[in-house]
Amino acid sequence: MSSRVPLHLQPPSGAGDLRVIELGDARVQYAGKLLADMGADLIKVESPCGEPARQIGPFVDDLPDPNRSLHFWHYNTSKRGVTLDLDHPSGPELLRRLVRGADVLLEGQLPGRLDVLGLTYESLAAENPRLIHVGVTPFGRTGPWRDFEAGELIHLALGGEMASCGYDDPTAPPIAGGGGQAYQIAGNYTAIGTMMAVVERDFSGQGQFVDVSVHMACATCTEMAVPNYLYRGMVVRRQTGRHATVTPSPPRQWRCKDGIYVQLMMPALSFSVYQWATLVNWLDEHGQADDLKDERYRDPFVRVAETQHIAEVLGRFAETLTSEQAFHGGQLHNLPWAPVRAPEENLYDRHFADRGFWEEVEHPDLSRTLQYPGAPYQTPEMPWRISRPAPRLGEHNREVYCGDLGFRPDDLGAMRESGLI
Amino acid sequence: MSADARNGAGRPPLAGIRVVDFSWIVAGPQATRILANFGAEVIRVERTDAYETIRMAAINKEATPGPNRSGSFANLNADKRSITLNVRHPKGFDLLVSLISKSDVVVENFSSRVLDSWNLGYDELAKIKADIIYLSMAGFGHSGRYRDYDTWGPTVQAISGLTHLSGLPEEAPAGWGYSYMDHTGGYFGALSVLFALHYRNRTGRGQWIDLSQVEGAVTLTGPHALDFQVNGRPSRRPGYPPGNRSVHPAVAPHNAYRCAGKDGAGQDQWVAIACYREEQWRALAAEMGRPEWVADPDFATNVGRRRNQDALDAAISAWTLDQDKYAVMERLQRAGVPCGAVQTSQDRVETDPQLRALELYSTLTHAELGPNLYEEPVFKLSRTPGRVRQPGPLLAADNDYVFGTVLGLSEQKIAELATEGVI
Repeated sequence: MSSRVPLHLQPPSGAGDLRVIELGDARVQYAGKLLADMGADLIKVESPCGEPARQIGPFVDDLPDPNRSLHFWHYNTSKRGVTLDLDHPSGPELLRRLVRGADVLLEGQLPGRLDVLGLTYESLAAENPRLIHVGVTPFGRTGPWRDFEAGELIHLALGGEMASCGYDDPTAPPIAGGGGQAYQIAGNYTAIGTMMAVVERDFSGQGQFVDVSVHMACATCTEMAVPNYLYRGMVVRRQTGRHATVTPSPPRQWRCKDGIYVQLMMPALSFSVYQWATLVNWLDEHGQADDLKDERYRDPFVRVAETQHIAEVLGRFAETLTSEQAFHGGQLHNLPWAPVRAPEENLYDRHFADRGFWEEVEHPDLSRTLQYPGAPYQTPEMPWRISRPAPRLGEHNREVYCGDLGFRPDDLGAMRESGLI
Repeated sequence: MSADARNGAGRPPLAGIRVVDFSWIVAGPQATRILANFGAEVIRVERTDAYETIRMAAINKEATPGPNRSGSFANLNADKRSITLNVRHPKGFDLLVSLISKSDVVVENFSSRVLDSWNLGYDELAKIKADIIYLSMAGFGHSGRYRDYDTWGPTVQAISGLTHLSGLPEEAPAGWGYSYMDHTGGYFGALSVLFALHYRNRTGRGQWIDLSQVEGAVTLTGPHALDFQVNGRPSRRPGYPPGNRSVHPAVAPHNAYRCAGKDGAGQDQWVAIACYREEQWRALAAEMGRPEWVADPDFATNVGRRRNQDALDAAISAWTLDQDKYAVMERLQRAGVPCGAVQTSQDRVETDPQLRALELYSTLTHAELGPNLYEEPVFKLSRTPGRVRQPGPLLAADNDYVFGTVLGLSEQKIAELATEGVI
């Protein structure tokens, strides 16, 4: 019997009326999380040995275990989980039964994989015309790279991200920023595409197919690089801790006396005389004003011309402060300065507690609660929440196959033995 | 009526949705660009006395500034409309209120106090239009002890942890060479507005979305916070971040390797290679003409390869050094090895055959910048596709349409208001 609250009794949320079947791994798990944390009833369908993400660490106590991957836990919050072997003779029909009752099929299968099993969008839509079928591939469904091998690093290389990130030193390599960004860029677009089709269906009553490729998503996420080439014929050059630019720019990133770096933005062109004077006073109090007290610096165009020099004065000043002193001191002087924090250090910053950002999630098998990153957008009217931790492998087989699809518990045993689930 | 018309084929998903768009620079405009591509009428409300920063970024052939001479503005603001309006003038404010009363969504990425200071916080907006959807995108959000702090892309990336996660071990952070979080802030903005539109379709209710770009950025670093709580392992530790190597999954080889030649900025060319499975490693060893590696205890297993990663990377680098990056990519991919050229902007536009096959870029003609390439929407809807139709608007191009057609003012009235500096 389903433990879910009946739909008509649930308070409405952004995606609370949607049932989603998620079939896939790195390409779709993040998009699924975005929908599930916003209330969607999402069932993650995995192969009986589990999705590959369960084998990616870090693990609890550094002991690899498909139910103890912290990577998998983060990306699969609020989801129920079942197992299903698509290659079993009865696999495709079982998936069909799940999809028949769903609003969204969110799948990250390689091009053609579902087609050969007869699970085309057309055949699924014939049984469920309201179905929104979202398919995410590495490189799209056509084209010379369609069947190429992919991965996070490969996508950040081909997408253009790495070309813009690195160091002043020309012998240094381009850097792929960490944390899984290629799949998160694609996942954000995937969630947007899904909800665009949902909003369209609110009007038309019809579903459709939503086609996303990771490569195309990454290729649009490099800000000024492509416009600089299209309009000026110039390729941007990598620099340390700041934008890649056509011509070298002054340094922005300085190491404070506590060993932590800060990002120092320069005073804007719109800085008033008063704001500049206040800033220079601050430096002067620390004996670090250099020649910035000179009247000529009151002219913003002089400051533009002297950007390199001013950047160095500010940087040497920051080196005499701790990173937190530079952060708050800069902000109080109208400068958008920020420390280069390690991600977990934000667990302790009281601003996030003021906002209620960190989300407590109970993990009974660890006998403790953990703080998970909270909502990317605060929406009190349609609350975001982590409704359950990531599912154990096959955790909801009985609830879904018996409770939702009407199989008998005996059937379940046979399905397990035959390897179907 | 044709079956297609009955099904709403061709009717854009956001037809009939009007957005009052105060957003500027990148994050807000990235959100509203997506809405505009799918049929929303996005009206940029711009100042009468100053030009928006990205408009003035002189991304054009002559590198000369002007409000309609920025290629990056033109792409980022494709399919939107532009009006100029002095909202601090009482008549201007009244026009704004009138426009909001006929709109569905208000978007802004100002610092947290700005709309409040105009008496246009959410409560006031809801009095003008009860079901309004208001998306604010301040760096630290509209509450909390840092709500008056300012941010922009690189500082959001710094404080969230994204900058720290990008770099070579024991070196200064490399960070992100562009405002990655401005794009992502925009994605979260578009997504939250779509959730809100669906919610409104079901309940009739509008709402305020208080989006903090810093919070959004922190959500992109999730496993690190869990690792610290569960295993006590900090992200500030020797050997971390690992450059282009991989800690999770712990596989080798996984790196960027120098190739022959220089790119359009005079930088070395590079290729990325990663082996996630043993058969990919065996294929790489075969392609490199090193079949003996498969039996060599130093390289035969992933554990061995990770332990000997320096020697492994040096050997691969020696092999790629005199090859073209695309040649390496083609031959390794044909052998089933994950491999990708590090592509610059020039590469993506001129060479990338896959982006061409996917039709990412379309040519549009801008009144001052002439014809150039513009990005189509990333996701393709089969029945109601979005598309990029117009370059970003010339400043005030839609004054007559908005003040005349939408708000019903006469030509004479519009001329008067222009003389008075209201529009």
